[in-house]
Order: sequence, then structure tokens, then C-alpha cells
Amino acid sequence: MNQLLKLEDVWKIYHLGKVKVEVLCGVSLEVNKGEFTAVLGPSGSGKSTLLNVMSCLDIPTSGKVSFEGEDVSNMSEDELASIRGKKIGFVFQQFNLLSHLTALQNVILPTLFQGFTEKEGEKKATEFLNSVGLESRINHRPGELSGGERQRVAIARSLINNPDVIVADEPTGNVDSKTGIKIMEVLKDLNKQGKTVIIVTHDKDLVSYAHRVINIKDGKVQ
Amino acid sequence: MIKEYFRIAFRNMKVRSLRSWLTILGIVIGIFLITSLMSLSEGLKNSVMAELQMMGGNLIMVMPGDMNDMFTNFIGGMQLENRDIRAIEKVRGVDLVLEMPLEAEIVRYNNESKTSLIYGISYDSGIQLLKEDMGWETVDGRFPYSGRREVMVGNLVPKDIFPGIEVGDEISVKGKKFVVSGVLRSLGNRQDDSTIALDINDFRDITGQREGTPMAVVRIVDGYEVGFVEEGIRYALEETRVRERGEDAPSFSVVSSDAVADMVGNIMGILQAVVIAFASIAIVVGGIGITNTMYTSVRERTKEIGILKAVGAKKKHITSIFLVESGVIGFIGGVGGVVLGILLAKSIEMFFQIHPVFFIEAHVSFSLMFFALGFSFLVGCISGFFPSRSAAKMEPVDALRYE
Repeated sequence: MNQLLKLEDVWKIYHLGKVKVEVLCGVSLEVNKGEFTAVLGPSGSGKSTLLNVMSCLDIPTSGKVSFEGEDVSNMSEDELASIRGKKIGFVFQQFNLLSHLTALQNVILPTLFQGFTEKEGEKKATEFLNSVGLESRINHRPGELSGGERQRVAIARSLINNPDVIVADEPTGNVDSKTGIKIMEVLKDLNKQGKTVIIVTHDKDLVSYAHRVINIKDGKVQ
Repeated sequence: MIKEYFRIAFRNMKVRSLRSWLTILGIVIGIFLITSLMSLSEGLKNSVMAELQMMGGNLIMVMPGDMNDMFTNFIGGMQLENRDIRAIEKVRGVDLVLEMPLEAEIVRYNNESKTSLIYGISYDSGIQLLKEDMGWETVDGRFPYSGRREVMVGNLVPKDIFPGIEVGDEISVKGKKFVVSGVLRSLGNRQDDSTIALDINDFRDITGQREGTPMAVVRIVDGYEVGFVEEGIRYALEETRVRERGEDAPSFSVVSSDAVADMVGNIMGILQAVVIAFASIAIVVGGIGITNTMYTSVRERTKEIGILKAVGAKKKHITSIFLVESGVIGFIGGVGGVVLGILLAKSIEMFFQIHPVFFIEAHVSFSLMFFALGFSFLVGCISGFFPSRSAAKMEPVDALRYE
């Protein structure tokens, strides 16, 4: 089976006091293995929420989400964590690196929850940091790195557990356009190596890297 | 993984070092109190019990006044008189009655005069009781003989009172000369080890006390039950005082050596329980400090928790990270408290060795140290339980969104 993700009539509703906010309104879509998918939409369209649901960070209020054929909509927090740790790598707009850890220690982090020791993770992390061109920056803390370097650390971190899917939420949102292109090239290379890549963006220029574009507006797939 | 938790804990504590150290200080104070007070009270108990254990089970102590008000009796100078002693000697089952009158006198040795406690015992019969039933021994020389103007000195006399005094040396008490026949093995407390024993006749002669003793030790005849003899002594003393002196309510304390040991053991046990109770309050306060710090830490690290969850951390991982951190805070506090507690206890011990007001020894046992360290780690873990649980319960999306 080539299908990786399937969303069927997914709703996500938040209750802010007495106000009911419908962020996702009956979204149905599929993502196949090996695809480079871009979710495009304006600010507040629900694209980040959609990405959270697709990447097992969140569960829908209603509807069904299947990951590799398995229904994850009603899974426990720990079961979802297990899927995230083994099969999904995250790249965030804000990088989300731990400021008190070095680049190397940040990249090692996901391996610790898969039962590896820091020593074991160190070898792999060094390889991945080298592969994104940061061999000379491994002992620097995020505060000592540029935006592009930080995002490359985040990419190395997302790859350390050899996930099937790389999920990136506005990966170029906090870097200059030149660095943004480099980041997108790295993601494209990863896709060529067989990883499924899903990015969320409001930048129409980035969709050229994707095989498929999902347009979202007001919580609905267009 | 447990190794990694510790690594993460130390790393986080380093990041917030001032707060971590202040939190640790809260535990240090509690454990410091427990370690110092427990080691001192344990040392006190051991020395008192050791002294009591030297005594055989066939001895009965007789003192005037109520046992519960021993201090007042002593300060008030209540004494057993000769007729009391004679009455005790007549009781069935009594083998020997040893009087031990005490007095402070000026003692002179090698042109040096010092006020020292002297006590009188019967060299004829008393020495035998002290050796056989109370376990007294000499470390140098021998026990004195009656009629030879000999004295025996406590273990600390050649060290502290008259440094360099040896067996065969001469001392004088109120102008009367005596030869040191022996130095006693330590009796377990500084006061007893600093005294000088004279034959009771010499003692009476020098001090002018014709009769009276603040305490008498009674040895019972083999085969007699201690309780039976105790009752006999009590009855005889009451009879004597009511009949001969017309006292309304004569008051005596007649207790066996075993009963004294039990009583002292109980008092010491209560003392230690009180010490633990008060020190525990300090530890609870320290524990609340840890809880506060950990809650603050969880709040500050909400985003970090979200990141950890996003990269695969399960609830148990998050719980463990915070629990180990709070446990480590408790444990480090414990180590600091134990070290400071031992230092204080040993300093107090040394102070009283230099200034011999009374003898106190700090008894620092491994079990006390393990208890203190284990307890501090446990307090740390318990204090961190709720904060770590609240961290583990966070939704990854909400935590990631937190600014």
C-alpha cells in the first residue's frame, strides 16, 4: 500500500469560553509515501492545526485519521508519542531548539526516548550535523548560531531517528530568502532519498518544490 | 536511560543554579539538624548505656527523694544517713551496701592545686563490688588497699587534671598525703573519669562528713529475686524514717540496675523521637521549597516539555526527568546536610573535650547517614511528584504554543 496518511471528515473545534471556534471543518485528504506535499493557506486558515493532526501531535474532535493504515484518532498520548518518536521528524518555524543545549545535544535528544544512551546518539548526531554542513558548529548553543544554522540543526534533529515522514511548519518563516532556498533544497534532497515531506506554508514560492499542493482556507480544503 | 535522566537533571540545575542551590539549602538545613542532633543524642545514649551495662543485674540503687526529681534532690543535698544504711543492710537478701559520698576538695600535686571531685568508698568491701559487679578495671597500677593512704584516679586525671601524674606519685588532699595506686579505665563520662577515689575513712576524716551519701549501691545475695529485695529495702527505709524520725511521708527511690537501664533507654528514645520530629518539620519546609521550585520549573519549561513530547517523549519520560531532578536536589541537600551535621557534631564533641564541662561523644553511624541520604532523596522525589505529573499531563500542542 502506498498510502501513508488518510484524513476522513476531520473536525477540530476549540471552545474558548462560550465561543465555539471551528478550526478544521470536515477535512478529508490523503498523503502517499514518498510524496512532497505542501499545505498552503493564509494566516488563520487552520493549516498548522491540520499539520498537528496529520503529524500525531494532536487528535481531531471528530473524524478519522489513519497513519500507515492504523487509526490514530483515538490513540492515547503515549501511543501517539511512540509514533512521533519513531516515524515522524519535526521542523518548526521557531526552530524549537533547547537554548541551554549545544547543537549536538539538541540533535541527540530524540534518541534518548528510543532507548539510546547519549554516547550512542552522539555518533549518529555528528553524522547528521555533518550532512547538513554544521560539522564546525556542533558544540555551539542555538544562541550562537544563525537562523539558517538553527534550522539545519532542527532538520538534523528531525532525521536522527530515521523517520518516514518529515513535517515542517513554515520551515523558512524565520530565515532570509537565500537561507530559505537552502533549507528547501535540503528538504527536497530528503524527499529524493525516499522521505515523505509535508510542509505548511503561506509562501506561494515554496509550493514549486512540492509534488502536490493542498490549499486550505477557513478550515476547509479547497 | 536513568543515566541520561541524571545528566538532564544536572544540566537543568546548572542552568538555574542560584535557584537550585537555594532550594538545596532548604533540605541541607533539615538534614543537618537530623544528622547533628541524632549523632549527638546517639553518642550520649551509647555512653550512658555503656556505663549502665557495666553494672551487673544483681545491683539495686537507693537514693533519697523521688526518682523523678533527682536533680532537686541532689542540689538540695538530700542524703541517706547511717541509720538508713544500717536498715538496708538488715534486709533479707542484701549482701553488701556501698556508700559513695562525694565532695569537691582542693587537691595538690607537684605544687599545683586544683579543685577536684573526690569520693569515698570502702576499700575493704566496695572495691570488690566495683570490680566484680560494675566492671571497673585499672589501666595502670592496681586497686588501692585499705589502711595504706592510697587513692585511685579516674582515666582523665593524668590527662586533664594533673597532666603527667603516674602510679606511685604523691598527692595531697587538705594537707594529707596519698599515693596514687592505680588509674581507672574510662567509666564512659567525663565527670566520673575526672574524680579521685579515697578510702571512706580517709574521706570522712578529710571532709568532716561523719555520715551521709547521696546514693548507695546494694548488691543482693545470689538466688534472691531483685524485686523481692527492692520491696524489702523500701519497707525497711519507710519503717526507719517513720519510726525513728517521725516523717509523714518518707520518700526514697529504690531501683534495680536493669530498671535504670530501661528508664534511661526510654528517655533517650523519647529524646531522639523529639529530635526527629522537629528536624522533620524543617525537612517538610525544605520539601515544600522543592515543590515550589519544580512547579516554577515546569511552568518555565513548558515549551521544552512540548519539544520533548514532539520528538517522542512519553509521559513516563517527562515524569522521570522532573522526578529525578527533584530527587537529585533532595539528595544533594542530604549530602550537604550530612557533611555539615557531622562537622557540627564532631566540633561539639571536640569543644567538650577541650572544655570538659561534661562528656559527649558524636556517634555518626552509617545507618544514620544512609537514612539521612535516603530520606532526603525520598523527600525530593515526593516533593517533585505533583509538579512532574502536571508536566507529563501537558498536551504537546499546547505546550509548544506556550510563550
